[in-house]
Amino acid sequence: MIDINNVSMRFNLGIEKNFSFKMAFIGIFDKSKRPKKEDFWALKNVSLHVNKGEVVGLIGSNGAGKSTLLKLVSGVMKPTKGKITVNGAISPMIELGAGFDPELTARENIYLNGAVLGYSKKFLDEKFEEIVEFSELRDFLDVPIRNFSSGMTAKLAFSIATIVNPEILIVDEILSVGDIKFQEKSKSKMLEMIKGGTTVLYVSHSLDSIKQLCDRAMWLEHGEVQMIGKAKEVCDKYYKAQMGGK
Amino acid sequence: MLGIITNFKKYSFLMNQMISRDFKVKYKRSVLGVVWSLLYPLLMMSVMAVVFSQMFKMRMEGVNYLVYLMTGLIMFNYFSEASNSAMSSVVGAFGLINKVYIPKYIFPLSKCLFVGINFLLTLVPWLLIIVLSYFGLGQYTCHINWYYLLLPYIFACLFLFTVGISFILSTVSVFLRDMFYIYGIILTIWQYFTPLFYSITMLPSNLQSLFKLNPLYLFIDSVREIVLYSRMPSVTTLFMCGIVAVLSTIIGSIIFKSKQDKFIYYI
Repeated sequence: MIDINNVSMRFNLGIEKNFSFKMAFIGIFDKSKRPKKEDFWALKNVSLHVNKGEVVGLIGSNGAGKSTLLKLVSGVMKPTKGKITVNGAISPMIELGAGFDPELTARENIYLNGAVLGYSKKFLDEKFEEIVEFSELRDFLDVPIRNFSSGMTAKLAFSIATIVNPEILIVDEILSVGDIKFQEKSKSKMLEMIKGGTTVLYVSHSLDSIKQLCDRAMWLEHGEVQMIGKAKEVCDKYYKAQMGGK
Repeated sequence: MLGIITNFKKYSFLMNQMISRDFKVKYKRSVLGVVWSLLYPLLMMSVMAVVFSQMFKMRMEGVNYLVYLMTGLIMFNYFSEASNSAMSSVVGAFGLINKVYIPKYIFPLSKCLFVGINFLLTLVPWLLIIVLSYFGLGQYTCHINWYYLLLPYIFACLFLFTVGISFILSTVSVFLRDMFYIYGIILTIWQYFTPLFYSITMLPSNLQSLFKLNPLYLFIDSVREIVLYSRMPSVTTLFMCGIVAVLSTIIGSIIFKSKQDKFIYYI
């Protein structure tokens, strides 16, 4: 279960620019040059309740706040206002291959990345074969992944990330990984995970896959909720709004 | 308190993996590999021994200068290496921090542990030099004695002190990248102001009491008492070691904890 209650998220865009003694010194004499607070609200009063076993899609144009919301739910960031309650173990698939070390071999990276994702040693020992099998990289197990192609790295990362049966799954558009054969395989693996009764938050720009997979959908625009409802209705409205100008 | 322990347990495997990653990366593609950990302090000590005892004619009555040098060197090097790599650990782990939730204390702590394991390896050549003093290496013999049992305690204090400082440094460096340069200079000054190759008795007495405030000197001097003079450090000294270590850890943790949620906006 995920409960997002009136959550707002503020970023201070000024931080990057005014961060030197020079600017601070100038600021003493010239008031207009003082660092201005350039607040940017990535999310404004967003509320969403996701029940156990429910699959909810998130749609919206680039920069609407979808990824920020996912990061808040997975605990990477804390909301400026509001509260997020998550019951159950989260498996974040926001970006794959977090913590891969290019100097290490595939075998070593499976353990390192697995540990980063919160798997135990016992679990990894048990599932090692399955991960290797799925990744189709058996012949390259002892090769440092700096020698891997990006496709191979992605295949490995995908195989490690999807080995669990998580209670809560957070997916940020990672379906298109590897070659055609692997894409099909990964797609059906994702479907299997999503349909396996887990709670899912799913971000995608492919409205078809949202309609196909999700029970409900939320449409975000400029950090605000435009609409929450049945996946098909929200997707249709969103599509019309986006294409309406033409 | 209980929460901290369960948290530790939960993430001990990750810490394990990160430390072994550091090890693998460090020695990958070097021919001698782990032997370097043993060789490096020996060579460093030899260079300094030649410079100071031959060129500057440094003499200390009744003290094996080689052991004197090496004791200070390995302990100070632990501190400087651990705190230095811990300082950049949080900034360096941006890719991870931005993607998955991991308690952030893991990064500086695992660096302190990693360098700590290296430190334990450097104890091997250190002990070798001590044993060789029985066979006439250096002018005086260092007698191995029962007080050696106190060494783990003092090393643990050094570790905790380093962890505390590392927490503070890694926090500050997130907000102020200049810290990487500033700390390099601080370390150099700190090194010269810690009696590593000279004796504190060579200084005027008012400076001596100032130099004794240096926690690193406190630790190093306690170990030297045991190893060089076969004496037990005073109870007050041992007590002070513990206080400094615990205080540093507590202050460091508080600072780190209060700022850690802001890290992500600055890295």
